[in-house]
Amino acid sequence: MNKRRRDNFIFRTEHLSKLYPDGQVHALEDVEIDVRRGEYVAIMGPSGSGKSTLLNLLGALDRPTSGEVYYDGRPYSKVRNLERVRSQQFGFVFQSFHLLPILTALENVQVPMFEGPLGAAARVAKAKELLALVGMEHRADHMPQKLSVGERQRVAIARSLANDPSVILADEPTGNLDSHSAEGVFELFAHLHEDRGLTVVLITHDEEFGRLAQRTIRMQDGRIRSDVYAEDRRFYTPLPPFAVQ
Amino acid sequence: MRFYTFVFKNVVRRRVRSTLTVIGMALAVGAVVALVGVSRSTEQSFMDIYQRQNTPIIVQQRGAKQRLTSVLSEKLGEEIEKIPGVKHANGGLVDFTSLEQLGADAVIVQGWRPGSPLMKNLNILPGGRNISPDDKHCVLLGDQLAIALEKKVGDKLSLYESGEYVVVGIFESHIGYESRSMVMRLSELQRFMGRPGQVSGFAVLVDRPDEPKEIERICAAISALGPRIDAKSAVDSVKDTAEIRFINAMAWIVSAIAIIIGVVLMLNTMIMSVSERTREIGILRAIGWGRLRIVRMILVEAFLLSLCGGVLGSIAAIGLTRALSQHPDVAGLIDAHIGPGVIAFGIVCSLLVGVLGAAYPALRGAQLLPTEALRHE
Repeated sequence: MNKRRRDNFIFRTEHLSKLYPDGQVHALEDVEIDVRRGEYVAIMGPSGSGKSTLLNLLGALDRPTSGEVYYDGRPYSKVRNLERVRSQQFGFVFQSFHLLPILTALENVQVPMFEGPLGAAARVAKAKELLALVGMEHRADHMPQKLSVGERQRVAIARSLANDPSVILADEPTGNLDSHSAEGVFELFAHLHEDRGLTVVLITHDEEFGRLAQRTIRMQDGRIRSDVYAEDRRFYTPLPPFAVQ
Repeated sequence: MRFYTFVFKNVVRRRVRSTLTVIGMALAVGAVVALVGVSRSTEQSFMDIYQRQNTPIIVQQRGAKQRLTSVLSEKLGEEIEKIPGVKHANGGLVDFTSLEQLGADAVIVQGWRPGSPLMKNLNILPGGRNISPDDKHCVLLGDQLAIALEKKVGDKLSLYESGEYVVVGIFESHIGYESRSMVMRLSELQRFMGRPGQVSGFAVLVDRPDEPKEIERICAAISALGPRIDAKSAVDSVKDTAEIRFINAMAWIVSAIAIIIGVVLMLNTMIMSVSERTREIGILRAIGWGRLRIVRMILVEAFLLSLCGGVLGSIAAIGLTRALSQHPDVAGLIDAHIGPGVIAFGIVCSLLVGVLGAAYPALRGAQLLPTEALRHE
């Protein structure tokens, strides 16, 4: 079956470009990708290749200079309340966790839920459930600074699941972790993808973890250099590098 | 966890930031409350004197904005008492004198007729007595003045380079202006001041002091007695007094400066506080918080901090003015009673300034794209 079939896309981009005015840097240039519902995609590439910019544009955290992002067939430029899409459909995981230092693990997980329908008691119950899912129920009352980096990332993953998102967007989630903790985090993503059917789009530098994904998109100089599905990897030949613009 | 619990924790658990903001607010509010409070209480203390004496009408020389410069004939009192509805017209003379040898350089001396209602209304402390019509070279001292001069009943003091006066009584008053004054016979003060037959003004008692229309009618009738005569209700008279107007004007100018400094301080504190949290705003926006919720969070926090600052500042202002008013140099001259209205004004002021001061950085922070906010160092 052709893996690149053009149906059931959760994300699709059209001629997506992002130009940072300071320094006139083309962070992204005419990028066209699509992500199907339930896919596990790893974005790889050297620093400054545009991976985070692409992830931020997919997650509606930033606006493109030109081009369009479609989520579930709807272009972002036509969506009036992107905040709602972000809060209800996406769960974000960051390299530096971005937990609120004044809140306990249990409280941090509840923060996104203020935008959801749950009452106070239900929020606590759900946060406990999510902490249990990531194996952190025993650290629920600890402040982030009392947790190890691996534990902080687990709490951040629990928080990303607070509003039952369809998609997890993770920007180098293991960048600050030791190999043991990183392994645990990737296991978690694999579990979320397989057992919960979530679409996972993550950025990683680690080739080994990148291979765990169903699909690997490699970027260079703001463009897609290769886009390979796991089944095709053994036949994979890297695309020739782009000419310097 | 509820949203407001989160906001509350944000304030309580960021101790250093919250404490500094509250201190900044308290300083600004404290200055405003203290200055406006002293001004208001000084005005009120004049009012209290007339209320205690049940004086609804004050008669002075037209155009004289200071009691000291007002000159009226003592005989005018008889004409005023002929007006229907008037009970008594109590003529009084006021002077400022210096008792340098006793360390008091501005003592208010009031000359009243012995046996007049003004004299009778004084609350003489046990051990002393009032001045009787037969007394000569006798004075009554206000309690604060007696303390300042270190005088008690029976002691003597030199006045107007015309011999010694015996302190026959000490009267108590919670009104600063009055408690630091001295009372003597009208005729003696007239002689010392070289103003025989003259008074500074009249305190007029009426049959129906609670009827504003009646007061108005009597004022008009008194004013019609001559072109130099100006009768006003006690409230209007106090408000029109040059000293009160000067104190009020000064207090309002200093209060306005305090408010401006307070606004700038709050604005600065809030901008710093929100800028410091730009990254946090980025995180909250990234995990789905809407702009309105961000603004709400910052404004509610500002409200809580301003409320704490307002309350603490008011308490500090009350304590400080009370402590300072006990200082020998000002005891009795400055009233330290800060009324609930002034405290409410201070707290409302702090809430308005705090919330408005936070609104700008809150709106600015909420307008940022999550990535812009997250990049913020």
